Amino acid sequence: MSAVAAAAVRRPRRPGRRKITNRALLYLALVFYLAIAIFPLYWMFMAAFKEDVDLIDPGVSPFWFKRPLSLAHFDVLFRQTDFLRWYSNTYLIAAAVLVITLVVCIPGAYALARLHMPGGEHFAIGLFLTYLVPPTLLFLPLSQIVSGGLAMGNNKWALVLVYPTFTVPFCLWLMMGFFKRVPVEIEEAALVDGCNRFQAVLRVVLPVSVPGILTTAIFAFTLAMQDFVYALTFTSSSSQQPLNVGIPDSLIRGDIYFWGELMAAALLAGLPVAILYNFFLDYFVEGITGGALKN
Amino acid sequence: MKEASIGVRPAVAGSTRRRVKWMEPLTGYLLTLPAIVYILLLVGYPFLLSLYFSINRVFIGGEYRGFAGINNYTSLLDNPVFQKAFWNTLGFTFGSEIAKAVLGIGLAFLLLQPLFGKKIVRAFLMLPFTLPFALSLLGWQWMFDPEFSVINYLFGHQLHILHQPYPDWLGDPFWSWLAILVVNIWRGFPFAGVIILAGLTSIPRELLDAARVDGAGFFRTWHYVITPIIAPVLFIGLIYDVTFTLGDLTAVYRLTQGGPGYSTETLPMQAWQVGIIGGNLGLGSAITLFLFPLLFIGVIIFLRMLYRREAI
Repeated sequence: MSAVAAAAVRRPRRPGRRKITNRALLYLALVFYLAIAIFPLYWMFMAAFKEDVDLIDPGVSPFWFKRPLSLAHFDVLFRQTDFLRWYSNTYLIAAAVLVITLVVCIPGAYALARLHMPGGEHFAIGLFLTYLVPPTLLFLPLSQIVSGGLAMGNNKWALVLVYPTFTVPFCLWLMMGFFKRVPVEIEEAALVDGCNRFQAVLRVVLPVSVPGILTTAIFAFTLAMQDFVYALTFTSSSSQQPLNVGIPDSLIRGDIYFWGELMAAALLAGLPVAILYNFFLDYFVEGITGGALKN
Repeated sequence: MKEASIGVRPAVAGSTRRRVKWMEPLTGYLLTLPAIVYILLLVGYPFLLSLYFSINRVFIGGEYRGFAGINNYTSLLDNPVFQKAFWNTLGFTFGSEIAKAVLGIGLAFLLLQPLFGKKIVRAFLMLPFTLPFALSLLGWQWMFDPEFSVINYLFGHQLHILHQPYPDWLGDPFWSWLAILVVNIWRGFPFAGVIILAGLTSIPRELLDAARVDGAGFFRTWHYVITPIIAPVLFIGLIYDVTFTLGDLTAVYRLTQGGPGYSTETLPMQAWQVGIIGGNLGLGSAITLFLFPLLFIGVIIFLRMLYRREAI
C-alpha cells in the first residue's frame, strides 16, 4: 500500500527534479556563452574608463576599479584626435552608400520580384552570388582603378563608390523577398481603379513595403560601417578615414599603444553598429538561408 | 488609335496584349539595369583586371614590365612564404569552422529554450558578430598584450592552467597561430548559432513528436530527423562563412601582420604585402586568385543547395 503510494508520489517528482537540473545546466551553459561573448567587451570597458595608472598597476585587480572611473581617455579622444571627423566620415559614407543602394535596388528588386522576365530568377541568384566575392579578391585591381582612372586616391568618396558592390547584391536579394510578400491583389486593385502600373507601384506597393525598405536601408548602412579592407586601401589621411582605420592609425604610433583611448574609441564606434545590426539580424539570416526565394 | 475609343475592341485588346508581352520583360530588364551595370563595372571589370594583372608584370603607378604568362603563378608555387600562407589560410578556415560548428550547435539549442529576457540575452550573445571586426580586434590586441595580457592573468595567475613563462600571444609562432584561430572562432560562432537555429526552427514539430513517439533518443533524432532537414541551411551558412574566413585580412593584419616571421601569414595578408606595400600588382593578384578555386567550389555547392531548397 505504502509502496504503491510512494511510487505514485515519486513518479511526478522525478521529472520535477530533472527539470531543475536541466534548468541549472541551461543557465550554466548560458553563463559560459555570455562570458565568451562579452568578456572582450567588458575588458574594453575597463580599459576605457580606468586611469592609465590603474591599467598597469600590478597591485590592482584588473577586473574592477580601484580608483574612481575616469573620463580622461574620452577627453583625449575628443580634444586631441580627429575622432569626430572619423565619426562623421563613417556616417556620411554609410548614408551615401544607403542612398545609392536604395536607388539601385528598389527598381531592380521590384522588377525581379514582380515582372515576368525570362531568366529573372537566375539573374537574381547571379547577382546575389557577387556578394560572395570577398573584397580581398578585388582590392588590388580596385586600388588601381580608384587611384588611377578615377583619380580618387585617398578620398572617402571612393569608398562610397565601392561599398555598393557588396551592399547592392544582398539588399537586392532581401528586398526581392519583401516585394514578393506584398499581395498581388492590392496592386491589381489599384490598376482596376485606374492607376497605371507606375502609379500603382508608387502609391500602393511602395507604401506597403516601407518596413522592408527600411530594413534593407539599415542593413546597407551597417554593412558599410563594417568594412576594413577597402578603407585601409583607399584612405590614408586622417581627414578621409572612417572609424575602422582612423582609430588604430592615429592611436597606435609605432610601438606605443594608447590603450585607454583605443578602447574608448572602439566602444563608441562599435556599439551603435552592433545595436543597429542586431535589429535586422533575423532578416540577414533569412536572406542568407534563401528565405527570400520562397514566397 | 482613334478606333480604340470608338470600339474595335477585339483587335485593340489583342494588340495591347502583344504590346504588354514584350513591354513587361523590357521594363524589367531596364529596371534591373542599374544594378547589373554597377556590378559589372565594379565587380566584373576589377575581376578581369585582376586576371590581366596576374599574367603580366604590372606595378603600382601603372608601371608595366611585359607579359609574364604563368610566371607569377609558378614563382608562387616555389615560394615558401606563399606555401605557408596557403596552408595557414586553409588551416585557420578549417579549424575555426569546426569550432564554430560545435559552439554554434550548443548556442542554437540554448536559444531554443525559453529564457528570461531572451531578446536582450541574444543581443549580447551576438555581439562578437555584430561589432565591426576591425574594432573588436583592438580589444583582443589589448587582451593579448605581451605584458598585461588578461588571458595570462586569468588562466595563469588566478586559475593556474597556464604556467610561467606565460605565452607571448602575438610574438610566438605557436601562440600567435592560436590567437588568430581564437579570434576567428569568437567572431563567427554567434553566426553559426543563429544559422543552425534557423535550421532547427524550420523543422516541423510533428516530425520531432513522431520521432519521440517511436522511441528515438536524442542522438537518433539528431542523426535521422534533424540533420537531413537542416543540412541545406547549414551548408549555405557554412559556405557563406567559409568565403569570409578565407578572404579575411582584418584579423591577421590587426594582430600579427603575418608574423612572427611568417608563422601566421595568410593569402590576403601576403597579397596586401606584395601588392600594396611591395607595389607588385601582378604577383599580388596571382596570390588572391589562388583563393578563387576555393571560393568557386563553395559557390557551386551554394547554388545547388539554393536551387534544391527552392525545389522543395
